[in-house]
Amino acid sequence: MMKNSRQNASNRQENFGENSKKGQKEPEQVLGQNVPIGSADYLAPESLNKALEYRSRYGYKAVVIAGGTDIMVDYFEKLPEVTSWLDLTKISALKNIEITREEIIIGSLVTHLEIARNEELKKYLPLLAAASSEVGSWQIQSRGTIGGNIVTSSPAGDTLAPLLAYQARFVLASTEGEREVAAEEFFVGPKDNIMEPQELLTKIIIPHPPENTISRWWKVGKRKAMIISSLTMALLLEVNKNDRIQSARAAYGAVAPTPLRLESLEEYLTDKDLQEVELKKAGNLAEEAISPISDIRGTEEYRRQVTRDITIEALREMQQR
Amino acid sequence: MSEIKVEFTLNDNKESVVVPAEERLLDTLRERFDLTGTKEGCGVGECGACTVILDGEAVNSCLVPTAQVDGRQVRTVEGLAEGDELDPLQQSFIDHQAVQCGFCTPGMLMSARALLDKNTSPTEEEIKTALDGNLCRCTGYKQIVDAVEAAAKKEERE
Repeated sequence: MMKNSRQNASNRQENFGENSKKGQKEPEQVLGQNVPIGSADYLAPESLNKALEYRSRYGYKAVVIAGGTDIMVDYFEKLPEVTSWLDLTKISALKNIEITREEIIIGSLVTHLEIARNEELKKYLPLLAAASSEVGSWQIQSRGTIGGNIVTSSPAGDTLAPLLAYQARFVLASTEGEREVAAEEFFVGPKDNIMEPQELLTKIIIPHPPENTISRWWKVGKRKAMIISSLTMALLLEVNKNDRIQSARAAYGAVAPTPLRLESLEEYLTDKDLQEVELKKAGNLAEEAISPISDIRGTEEYRRQVTRDITIEALREMQQR
Repeated sequence: MSEIKVEFTLNDNKESVVVPAEERLLDTLRERFDLTGTKEGCGVGECGACTVILDGEAVNSCLVPTAQVDGRQVRTVEGLAEGDELDPLQQSFIDHQAVQCGFCTPGMLMSARALLDKNTSPTEEEIKTALDGNLCRCTGYKQIVDAVEAAAKKEERE
């Protein structure tokens, strides 16, 4: 689901709550004459335009909800404090998957389960389909959306490393128009991104990977189901028929404040014969390029070691394919 | 918050309720419809005790605002049996002693039902995946997986 995107969004929301408690500002007064009194609490528009209108009027004051699998947890103990919801689930325009000659366009409300089960996405975007199939559990996958995973912007978000590896672009819409942002530029910190309060994420656009692409997804967690990743890896190589790596994209999650691509590793792999890749060297490059923290899901040392190990193992598998 | 009128189908009956916008489907089912088969375990989508079927898919009812089920179909554990006749899954759970304290059972049954409604002959691995989001702390999973497997075979024969 989608939530207020900035790290300080919840603070803003709380600040607003404080203000309203003090009687300084009521939503209707702040937001102008267009808001009908008494209908401001649960907004469930069927059209995107209406949703964008609400978004520009309410900004952070309305909690945006899609699948609810993050937001209902975040608000578990403070649901009564929510002053307004903006529910996106009735907007069918955000639920499409479109495959054109050049691109794959996924609506922000498409669920993880829909991605995991979609035969075309499994074929064209195996990293994303695999990551979606490993989010939480079936119950979470059937509700949680790709847009929510992106907007929540957790460094451990399962779909984020694949989206970086596929060079996805995100379409951010507002009443003023649309802008497209590269996945890499979208995330700026833990649970922080560049979205503005009046914007909604509407589409994810992914260029078709070249046919000679090989890839490997890896999720490391303490158990298989219902686990927030200790780290994730999406490795994608474009290899020509002589086994030369034409391009490499190595994206990792939960090893830095944002999901990130490891440029040093990509540079090392590019233009190299796949069979001549020195696995240890590649593993060391990966280990050095990340900046993990220690938390309940693993220590910094553990994350560095495992990053090295899975990088080596994935490249070894690719060499032996 | 204002109250929202929600019309939905609950275990094949058309229902209409007026709820606060922040009310969870779990609470609506238990408190307004007395359908207390749906349990609250963790309240944050980890344990699966509150699993119900929403438009054919298993969901955690603790993470669904009731307002979002407007116009949709909800099925709870109470909707499995037809009169006195148990759902094959329920009978199979009894036959395989897949119930000990019983708290996780409604959630297990609903996740398994969602699976069998889509896949009439699941492999053991597929059953385990479908039950990934359901925790049991006393029965043990073996009997549960066996029960689902047997129910699937029985349903396929019929």
